[in-house]
Amino acid sequence: MLMADFKCRLKADQGFKMNEKKRVVVTGFGAVTALGMNVSDIWTEIMAGKTGIKNLTCFDTTEYSTRIGAEVDNDKLAQRLADIKFKRYDRTVEMAIVSCEQALKHAGLIGDGPDYNPQRIATIIGTGVGSAHSLFHAYNCFFEKKVRGMRPTTVPRCMANATSAQVSMKFRLTGTNYMITCACASSTVAIGESFRMIADGYENIVLCGGSDAIFEPASYASWNNLGVMSKNPDPLKACRPFADDRDGCVLGEGSAALLLESLESAQSRKATILGEIVGYGASSDAEHITRPSPEGQANAIRNALSSAEISAAEIGFVNAHGTATRANDECESASILNALGSSADDTPVSALKSYFGHLLGASGAMETIITILCLQKNILPPNLNLENRDPNCHLCLVGNTPTETNASYALKNSFGFGGTNAVLVIRKWHD
Amino acid sequence: MTHDEIISQLKNVMKQSSQESADWDNIGDDSSIQSLGFDSLSILDLIYDIQQEFGIEFEAEELATVRTVGELVSFLKEKGV
Repeated sequence: MLMADFKCRLKADQGFKMNEKKRVVVTGFGAVTALGMNVSDIWTEIMAGKTGIKNLTCFDTTEYSTRIGAEVDNDKLAQRLADIKFKRYDRTVEMAIVSCEQALKHAGLIGDGPDYNPQRIATIIGTGVGSAHSLFHAYNCFFEKKVRGMRPTTVPRCMANATSAQVSMKFRLTGTNYMITCACASSTVAIGESFRMIADGYENIVLCGGSDAIFEPASYASWNNLGVMSKNPDPLKACRPFADDRDGCVLGEGSAALLLESLESAQSRKATILGEIVGYGASSDAEHITRPSPEGQANAIRNALSSAEISAAEIGFVNAHGTATRANDECESASILNALGSSADDTPVSALKSYFGHLLGASGAMETIITILCLQKNILPPNLNLENRDPNCHLCLVGNTPTETNASYALKNSFGFGGTNAVLVIRKWHD
Repeated sequence: MTHDEIISQLKNVMKQSSQESADWDNIGDDSSIQSLGFDSLSILDLIYDIQQEFGIEFEAEELATVRTVGELVSFLKEKGV
């Protein structure tokens, strides 16, 4: 007998129900973006059709060809950190601390602090770049003063898992803690892996999400020279997902966090349930480091539907990755059509990056939160700057005003450089 | 620099590197460095920040016997601050 068969039989003999998955619900969320310092403010701004994209102020952009972005208000961030009693650290970490504190508090799992009791909660955070500001500072010190210029705590500040480690320590979360890094898909994968972790019974409660702070001179210069950012100087009009006249993405900084837990856990502690994650699919393009592949993306969507055990016809809303680059939006349109078939003809699609910029490793988590709110409030966000639709994007795009919906299921797509594709299926929560 | 000037500048440096919210207005010669929120890791940052702030260089081991703020001020004076 194979060892795997033996283990299965052993578990069956011991009374385990094989393949019995736990339902996974969302009971808290938090966020920090240019549009606001909490989810409620961000939602209000989106529904009012406002964007957080402005001319960048945090460093001199004179030599850059793109000078706009969605910056988090530094004074407000400093105030929130002081309220939470968290010393200034790395900006990616700081924003995660703020969003995670909100999610834990929203879920009713922590009080005002600053001292917290240890709790068995896992911490799974996604990031595209990590501690960009600390790395920039460290290299500056090194180039200026060589070895003696390097701060002794550079390793813990800059290590790729700095964010999940600091969140876990700050809030005394004793479940497993680690980071997921797969570019712009990072936080969607973080949510997906957390979903699986709970569904399969490895953890009962997981704090997941993403954080990225890209606005330091070197990281932003890297993006500037990659040739994918919009050169439109008008911050209000530059980010135009699925529009015929789009010319690239606009970056943002921020963090978003969700509290996922098993349905039994949420019900036993009488938590307010905000939505349910019912499926997760992932795939790799295995083709090109930056050019997306419609086959790879469609595979991830199909995998997500299969995981949720629902048909394409049941999807009532697609929250697209929608970066507003020429290549991505056309490719994503083809992927959605490929995976949803004729159901795509009347399934509304929105993209949110025109509101708070492309949050990179935090984008999927932020957009998942808005998707949950859309299902909860029966309304879909407008696509900003969609005056001229790209005829090559054959999607049922939401127009320039919010649209009512009775959708029960939504897809959240996220596709990252490196070919990582991740898709969540979210279900509206009915009491 | 006078003793008081060094303490005043040192307080600002320590505030930056400390992991705790200490009573910075009331620290004096007898205040223990450990009680101000410095552990084995953050003390390394404090040493780094002192070197940058006062423009001096020394090895961490040289502070092995320094326990209080007053002893630290004396040490800095010996280094020519």
